[in-house]
Amino acid sequence: MNLIFKRSAPFLALLGLVLGGCQPDLNDDPQSSAGQADFSRYIAVGNSLTAGFGDNGVYREGQLQSFPAILAGQFQQVGGGNFVQPVFPEANANGSGFLRIASFTPAGTPVLGQVAPNGVVGLGADGRTPLLVRFTGSDNQNLGVPGIRVADIATPGYGFNNPLGFNPYFERLLAANDPRSYTQYVQERVATIKPTFFTNWLGNNDVLGYASSGGTAAPLSDPADFRAKYTDITNVLTAGGAKGVVITIPNVANVPLFTTVPTAAVIGQVRAGAVPPTLAAQLTAGLSLTPAQAATIRFGFFIETATGAREATAADLLLLTSSGVINTPSTTANPFPVGVGISITGLAPAQAGGLAAVAPPNALPSRFVLDAAEVAAVQARTTELNNIIKEVGQSKGLAVFDANTFFNGVARNGIVVNGVGNSAAFVSGNLFSLDGVHPTPRGYAVIANEIIKVINATYGAAVPGVDPTTYRGVQFP
Amino acid sequence: MKVKTLLLAGGAILVGASSANAGGFQVYLPSQQSIGMGGVGVGLSMEQAAQFMNPGAMAMLRQNGVQVGVSATFARLAFRPIAGGEQRQLENTTVTPFNLYASFGPKEGKFRAGISVYTPYGSTLKYEDGWEGRFALSEITLRAIYVQPTVSYALTDQLSVGAGLMILTTGSVNLQRVVPLPSAEGKIELDGKTKTGFGVNAGIFFKPSDKLSVGLSYRSKIDAKVRGGDVTVSGITPALQGRFVGDKFDATLPLPATFNVGLGIMPTDKLTIGLDVNFTQWSEYRSLRFDFKKDGAPAQVGAGTFSESKRSYEDALTFRVGGQYKVNDKLALRLGGAYDMTPVKDGYVTPETPDNNRIIATAGVGYNITENFGVDASFMFQAILKRTQTEADLLNNGTTDRVAGTYRTNVSIPGIGLRYNF
Repeated sequence: MNLIFKRSAPFLALLGLVLGGCQPDLNDDPQSSAGQADFSRYIAVGNSLTAGFGDNGVYREGQLQSFPAILAGQFQQVGGGNFVQPVFPEANANGSGFLRIASFTPAGTPVLGQVAPNGVVGLGADGRTPLLVRFTGSDNQNLGVPGIRVADIATPGYGFNNPLGFNPYFERLLAANDPRSYTQYVQERVATIKPTFFTNWLGNNDVLGYASSGGTAAPLSDPADFRAKYTDITNVLTAGGAKGVVITIPNVANVPLFTTVPTAAVIGQVRAGAVPPTLAAQLTAGLSLTPAQAATIRFGFFIETATGAREATAADLLLLTSSGVINTPSTTANPFPVGVGISITGLAPAQAGGLAAVAPPNALPSRFVLDAAEVAAVQARTTELNNIIKEVGQSKGLAVFDANTFFNGVARNGIVVNGVGNSAAFVSGNLFSLDGVHPTPRGYAVIANEIIKVINATYGAAVPGVDPTTYRGVQFP
Repeated sequence: MKVKTLLLAGGAILVGASSANAGGFQVYLPSQQSIGMGGVGVGLSMEQAAQFMNPGAMAMLRQNGVQVGVSATFARLAFRPIAGGEQRQLENTTVTPFNLYASFGPKEGKFRAGISVYTPYGSTLKYEDGWEGRFALSEITLRAIYVQPTVSYALTDQLSVGAGLMILTTGSVNLQRVVPLPSAEGKIELDGKTKTGFGVNAGIFFKPSDKLSVGLSYRSKIDAKVRGGDVTVSGITPALQGRFVGDKFDATLPLPATFNVGLGIMPTDKLTIGLDVNFTQWSEYRSLRFDFKKDGAPAQVGAGTFSESKRSYEDALTFRVGGQYKVNDKLALRLGGAYDMTPVKDGYVTPETPDNNRIIATAGVGYNITENFGVDASFMFQAILKRTQTEADLLNNGTTDRVAGTYRTNVSIPGIGLRYNF
């Protein structure tokens, strides 16, 4: 036996060598590297997108999968250091509360429900803003504040609990009763952390607040003011020689909040309804219509705009929230459901409008619709602000991730990653969370990969990307 | 009857053929002697495996004989996603393709009859858990066992022809992949046996002198058809289970035709050199389609009632060269090489055939223990060259159902065979 072993040992050793040496190695092909960038200390500046906001809330799971956290994980493979985020503690994991799919209708439509917040510790001095569990660490590197606009960053007391209102997400990052502005906070963070790399994704709320309110709240930010403040914060971030990425504002008209309720189909459905002959006869008599006019009597879908009520066209974008309102019984004395009115061709607009919507008002309220003029205004301002972001970024030699161009592509074609299709569709598209605006963890991972591509191209780096398929889309029960 | 029993027993042991032994999912391991010589043999009449490589050459064999051989394939793959990151490997699987040949004929007669069992196509790959391409494939086992009765006839002392009936007796496919769900990952397994298929293997062999011989052979296509294979899904999110109702599938995989040309040169009694070219009609493999059913009617599994994935293979050539040197009556040394061109176009590489052009080197040794009984050992090494496909390649070809990245594979195949001539 021993002899057999002795005689066969060299042969077995050789066989082992051949088979062992057979494993190909691609790990250095190409080798991961930081290139000209230094990722040792990274900070992230921005709004809800930076904070990991999703499903209309900030909660622990979303925070842990924020795009800065994903990026930091990849940076660590090329010399990046630790990355501290102001995550809600386990005990307050539901944070501000968030949306979830509670159930499905028999037809398979998801029914949304609200997960109650457990990160709220009280009510602010204004009597309406909830106070959130404070982050007490002094080492925060994710400076994302949901809701913040560039227009807000220089505002003192933006996170100060006061009777006039404040931002609770900023308030929880600061010490109690800290009146500093966001820019001052960032300045302090830069001085303390001495970042070598940053991401800045501010600007979305400078158009989103307007868009998501159907043009009824928060005006579009002024470009001159935007430029001044954006330049300021960029100077603050680059003061210590840090490299970084600035990120543009995606066109909000591409997100499910505005694309899920199909305007053209709603118009079609409303128009398809037959006007009862008795009503048509009453209208013809009451308005003294000509036979030609009488022949055009039909239902139409009406919306309220800044210039009065009018019939909707496919260019008007209905908000996700409108689906719970359109075609529900009117809250006024109007006999038709909300949004539905009578259209008669050739009738004086005032008369037609009056008929359809004004007395008593029945057109879909403006806050549920971003009408064509508002869409154009949002897009024009987005372009203006994006040009400022690109100019400021380029003037500092920073990498620029044009998220607008990227998301326009996603809106058109979706994005397939590792054989898994993703699109900008609500719920089924995997990329957007249940609020229809903010990404899912999958969406944030896709964004992180795109940012990495830009970093690699700008700084000659080879930061590895993530596998976005390992991050979830919408959470299904 | 005895032969049949033997074959059935053989079929039971056959563990199938391995990953990646010739372009696509072809497995070109004719016999231990041929493997040692780079896989040549179409233009030679050295051994019983002629009935696979060129049935026309069988009539020129002078002895009755039985030979069996078995190989073990060790495939080692590296995959790196296009975005970078750590490389992925295969879980180590070893498969043992098998060959068996026997032929009988009157001494100095013109006729010779034979029977063979071989595995010309197959694949076994198991990727590591969680790898980026898991939605395309996590594991595949593809087996095809051919049984071929053959007759060969020497028209003259120099010219012989032969033909065999190729029977796809046992074939199976088992394919497993991960199912992407919004917030979970499910699993699907497709498992089926192929229906019996028939084809023909025919050849002609011409040996104008002691020093030269040529051969031509053709093996026809057999469609490996699975009807009513089992679909098993697990881990599907409750709300989405209505999309996974099919429990049977139909699929057809073409096992393509090959045309083979070979040249044999025997400068001395001791030295034999072979040159072969194989042409495989891979263009038959256009797409891989699974039709899902329940109770005989089309039924949804995933996105629809069928899944179709582009293959669009191209016809491919393999060039082989090899030689045998008889040191003495007992000992023969063999050496060979081959260049195998991939049928898979850029942007069409799939995890089940992570293919590219291959460089193949082989060596072998034969030893006659007695006048009638010999043993052959062979070793083949295949380097499947590095292949990268980008996301843009996939988008441009409409092949985004697979994964972008770089593949590189090495395959080592030691083997041993026994032969008995009488």
